[in-house]
Amino acid sequence: MRSPFSKGFTRENIVNLLFVLPSLILVGYFVYALIGWNVVVSVSDWKPASLTPSYNFAGFGQYVKLFQDPVFLTSLTNNIILILLFVPTSLALGLFLAILLDSKVRGEGIFRSIYLLPFSLSYVITATLWAWMYNPDIGVINTLSRAIGLGFLKSGWVGDPNIALGCVVLAIVWQFSGYTMLLFSAGIKSIPDSQIMAAEVDGAKGFNLYRRVVIPQLKTPALSAFVVLMIFALKVFDFIYVLTGGGPGYSTYVLPLMMFRETFSSTQFAYGAAIATLLFLLALVIVLPYLYLSSRRERD
Amino acid sequence: MFLLPLWTDLTTSFKDLNDVIYTVPVQPPRSPTIEPLLSAFNIMARPLLNSLAFTVAATILSCLLGSINGYALTKIKFRGANIMFLLFSIGIFLPYQAVLVPLVLTMSRLGLYNNLVGLILTHTTYGITITTLLFRNFYGLIPDSLIMAAKTDGAGTWTIYRRIMLPLSLLPFVVAAVLQFTSIWNDFLFGVTLARGSEAMPASVALANLKGTTEFNWNIQMAGALWYALPILIIYLVLGKYLIRGYMAGAIKG
Amino acid sequence: MASITIKNLTKKYGNTIAVKDLNLQIKDKEFFVFLGPSGCGKTTTLFAIAGLVKIDAGEIWIGDELVTSIEQGVFKPPQQREVSMVFQDYAIYPHMTVFDNIAFPLRIRNVEKDEIWKRVEKTAELLGISSLLNRKPRQLSGGQRQRVALGRAIVRRPKVFLMDEPLANLDAKLRVKMRTELKKLQLDLRTTTIYVTHDQVEAMTMADRIMVQRDGIVEQIGTPDELYNHPSNLFVASFIGSPEMNFIECALAKEREGLCLDAKEFKILLPAKILPKLRNSIGEQVIMGIRPEDLYESGSVDGILQGNVLRMTVDLVEPVGPYLLLHLRCGQISLVATVKETNVKTGQEVIMEMNLSKIHIFDKKTGKAIT
Repeated sequence: MRSPFSKGFTRENIVNLLFVLPSLILVGYFVYALIGWNVVVSVSDWKPASLTPSYNFAGFGQYVKLFQDPVFLTSLTNNIILILLFVPTSLALGLFLAILLDSKVRGEGIFRSIYLLPFSLSYVITATLWAWMYNPDIGVINTLSRAIGLGFLKSGWVGDPNIALGCVVLAIVWQFSGYTMLLFSAGIKSIPDSQIMAAEVDGAKGFNLYRRVVIPQLKTPALSAFVVLMIFALKVFDFIYVLTGGGPGYSTYVLPLMMFRETFSSTQFAYGAAIATLLFLLALVIVLPYLYLSSRRERD
Repeated sequence: MFLLPLWTDLTTSFKDLNDVIYTVPVQPPRSPTIEPLLSAFNIMARPLLNSLAFTVAATILSCLLGSINGYALTKIKFRGANIMFLLFSIGIFLPYQAVLVPLVLTMSRLGLYNNLVGLILTHTTYGITITTLLFRNFYGLIPDSLIMAAKTDGAGTWTIYRRIMLPLSLLPFVVAAVLQFTSIWNDFLFGVTLARGSEAMPASVALANLKGTTEFNWNIQMAGALWYALPILIIYLVLGKYLIRGYMAGAIKG
Repeated sequence: MASITIKNLTKKYGNTIAVKDLNLQIKDKEFFVFLGPSGCGKTTTLFAIAGLVKIDAGEIWIGDELVTSIEQGVFKPPQQREVSMVFQDYAIYPHMTVFDNIAFPLRIRNVEKDEIWKRVEKTAELLGISSLLNRKPRQLSGGQRQRVALGRAIVRRPKVFLMDEPLANLDAKLRVKMRTELKKLQLDLRTTTIYVTHDQVEAMTMADRIMVQRDGIVEQIGTPDELYNHPSNLFVASFIGSPEMNFIECALAKEREGLCLDAKEFKILLPAKILPKLRNSIGEQVIMGIRPEDLYESGSVDGILQGNVLRMTVDLVEPVGPYLLLHLRCGQISLVATVKETNVKTGQEVIMEMNLSKIHIFDKKTGKAIT
């Protein structure tokens, strides 16, 4: 398609350009220029604790330092564990809920609204709520367990370094399952009734029907949800900051948190910038293939 | 069962200190009081106002710009359209840590550190990435023949936007606005990085601070959470279905 | 034995009655068509037979088996009814290959692998899609998808084929071709078939018998010939046949020894044969029906019962390939006549005769046929 721009600077072209210029400038700067700047910082010799940056090239020393830092390795491991626990569980739970929702027709809207509510709330709120729930002395979980006689289940929850991460995962699964449920639900609804009827006439019902006809067609929503969940697991900061602050010890320390602490608490600006760049690259690895695939699909 | 955490929030907000310690959280308060709510409100009043201010402003701006971008990407055929859209789409998934440091530097150089305008600028810009997506998808469904008819009638680019696209855009505006309001109101990272001082502190940061400073006053914390959640709850009840549409538009920044 | 018997079938959606007190008997191996305009209840009836909708009253038998009965509380789910169905949008599974789609009903029933292979291949060959077995639906054309849907329906060898407007989404040429193929297929397979359509040409060319429905009520059941030549009411008469039958309002009056149809513009003396049937309607207002092909230019056809004439003006001459449509007018009356060739031009006057043995007379109030 020949662009009108190729015809030169007509009045129309200038108006067109003006349309997108503000956004282009804003996004161009705040996203891409800043990313670049950040990379520069990560290889600069900006001294820690100094508030004025200094931009002499200092090599990739920060990155080397990262991989030798046990805190970094712990954070990385935690992030990976988080992803491995969080993503499949959310997807599975969402799928389960969507199928459940599909079977009963009455009250569907209400259930959907209930399940989606947590997703709409700020992570600060939900983290605060869960912190309260997980409180070993007077939190809901322990007191309830005691009340129904399952007192032996009582534990330190987020105070216990061994299971703190698991507790975090539980909380964020709670928050996200409504979202995955929504995507799957929309996917299920998009399957024409006639296919379900055809399958019924052909002899399929219940579980069999879902397994053979419905679920295989949910690849697209599953992929979308997957990418969103992965990105979230990578950059989850708000929630952990409020719920555990990374503790106890470093058991819930994750990369974004580490970046934040290093940069703003320890003023290791270059170091923090290195972590941030790494995060960005990891996100790119996940996002670019997805964007490529979905643009290809749009062209069909 | 699922709503358990929310229920306990509600009940705890109305309990006085003794109740909190001695009763099971699921039970309603024995002697209900609005004292925790008031204390929380006192602490959070200013931040709530701040949040309201910059959220509304950034929502409006990002929606407007998103609409213009969507229009440009779908109806004005220019060469860089696909590239521009791709670049914006990456912005949706951007982990904001990657721009945090330069962002702080930029803001302080512009004198916008700890400043409402700084927050507005930030949220607007990052919001554009997703509002553009929403509007692009919506405008893509408007038949090109409509635009062509307008052109033969003599309308220029801006006129087409004003008289044809905008009037048709009520739905995406509502969806985008609801989505943006929720995201921006709920944001924490930018708040804690760019606005620690009380001039511009958002409610999210205030709530987090509440947790830190009143470690054992759970009732005040819960009350604070309730205040902070209130606008979102109202929006959810009234405009919930638009929010849901926004979520389904594909990708949401977590 | 795969006959179908329906007694007193009623189905309501809220306050709307989709099917009202339907009684029907379909013979084994019959190609039976449900015909009618949109919303007449034909698809609902089909779905009721399949067990895809629950009914409000009545009973349905497939063969000797009672599959639905409200009075006796019987309902066999669709999975167990041994019917198969072809939908208007084909409803083939997009995530499976053609082979898997056709094999699906067999796999569900845990048929042995080798047997599945054999049957699917045979079916594909029968339908001419053997080369497509490994493709996915999105790579197929509309006609090919339709055959896949057919394949899935016949591979099971059910008692009854149910088809819901399967040709509606095909382009005109393909539709005509598929009509013949479907009919041949049905004769080969010798399975009872119920076919739903709103296209009366389709119904007339394919059916052994047709049921015409309107607003949930049966208007007439009969062979194509019966419906065409002896429509039992105005609706059937107007619905069947293209171009549509001509209708003229007139009065039935005494004339000399017999009766005639009296309208402002003409008078038609009726043949003695049909007089007995009209005894009770003398003096009434009636509607006369005559098909376009039964109108002739005066003197152009020999050997037909020569009737009285109509003096008409030609409004338009429309060539339609093998014949011509003459649009005629006289006063308030407009008629369409089908002729093989003509010399008249627009604006000219022409004298028309009609084949009196093909006249239909309907009661004006009830619409029912009197002859």
